[in-house]
Amino acid sequence: MVRAALLLVVLLPFLIATAEPAASEVRYYVLPEGTGPHDVAPAPDGKVWYTGQGKGVLGRLDPATGAVEEVPLGEGSAPHGVIIGPDGAAWVTDGGQNAIVRVDPGSFKVRVFPLPKDAPPANLNTAAFDGAGVLWFTGQNGIFGRLDPKEGSVEIFPAPRGRGPYGITARPNGEVWYASLAGNHIARIDSQKRTAEIVEPPTPEQGARRIWSDSKGRLWVSEWNAGQIARYDPADRGWKSWRLPGDSPRAYAVYVDDKDKVWLTDFSANAIVRFDPVTQQFNSFPSDKAGANVRQMDGRTGEVWGGESGTNRLVVIQTVAPA
Amino acid sequence: MPVLAALAAPPAGAELDGARLFAPCRACHSLDPAERGLPGPNLAGLIGRKIAGDADFDYSPVLRKAGDEGLHWDAQRLHGFLADPAEMFPGLWMSMRGLEDAAEREALVHFLADPASR
Repeated sequence: MVRAALLLVVLLPFLIATAEPAASEVRYYVLPEGTGPHDVAPAPDGKVWYTGQGKGVLGRLDPATGAVEEVPLGEGSAPHGVIIGPDGAAWVTDGGQNAIVRVDPGSFKVRVFPLPKDAPPANLNTAAFDGAGVLWFTGQNGIFGRLDPKEGSVEIFPAPRGRGPYGITARPNGEVWYASLAGNHIARIDSQKRTAEIVEPPTPEQGARRIWSDSKGRLWVSEWNAGQIARYDPADRGWKSWRLPGDSPRAYAVYVDDKDKVWLTDFSANAIVRFDPVTQQFNSFPSDKAGANVRQMDGRTGEVWGGESGTNRLVVIQTVAPA
Repeated sequence: MPVLAALAAPPAGAELDGARLFAPCRACHSLDPAERGLPGPNLAGLIGRKIAGDADFDYSPVLRKAGDEGLHWDAQRLHGFLADPAEMFPGLWMSMRGLEDAAEREALVHFLADPASR
């Protein structure tokens, strides 16, 4: 079943003056009441998928019209992450159903891949495809797992040090890494051995929450407790970190755009923050409403998207003027 | 069954259900008072405690404000919170879908209120 609604597009464009880059336009899209958008995934066709954790749906916004389509994912669904797979479908980590869910972009057909029957609730978090087309995912209660779409079976593995696996990313070479929030580390998944090898950040108890690879395979990590953005280069095993502006920053989301600029969210500042690794400068894009709580970001050329879970809106920052 | 009555006389299976319902929460919360440093506040002794009452934890502004206003956790408030956390405290940093089933909320409240729960 698909529910469609033409929503009030929002269109509250704001020109945010920043020191650099010149000016970026910010737009907001109001979602149906109770959606509670968590993660977003901009699709190649211009639409934007988002998880509606508050009501157990996957949504798709057409930014051109403001129309929203909702796909109910199943009984008890509480979706957290969504990504676009190599097959063009939306792949969802659904903590409520303790399952990975695929939604076909054409038919909206929902296929549920439950975790093994004897698996306890994993608190599924996020997913990424490796270079071989296998989906790897995290469960905050102390697991990581894999789903080979060709086979359809789901396997889970105990994470080293137990609870904590949160954000996950694939490097350009196809290698998958995840961040452990409660475990205060990042880890590389060995896809053959199906084990995870811990790499310790230099900042103790930093709260590594999300992780994203840049175009060179360097890993950018949002450190919630430390209020830092950290960079790990697997090539030389070197770390570097930068504290976000403000008295008590809380770094939640991290996303690296196609220009290798780093985008973060800071819950304390109620803002999306851009970090330029070249100049090492931060630029802030505060929300126009209190308690925005953007928990994840993703983008495509010229656009950075996030879900304002606290205001029930999607937000886009346009970094390049449309052609 | 009213929430407070549920505390006095747990529904059948409440202990089991409460533990099961709490399982996903364990990624961030502990009921062991000695366990610190998790992404969420320690929940030992939650009932009767001031909101945002774990001195070791950096809470959302909305919870700090509630605590500053003198609000406390009791069974009824917790029951309502679990139905829709973000509705009770807009802008809450914690993210979870509320429990729609009142019996599940009762079981979880009972589990959290029981000092023996770990």
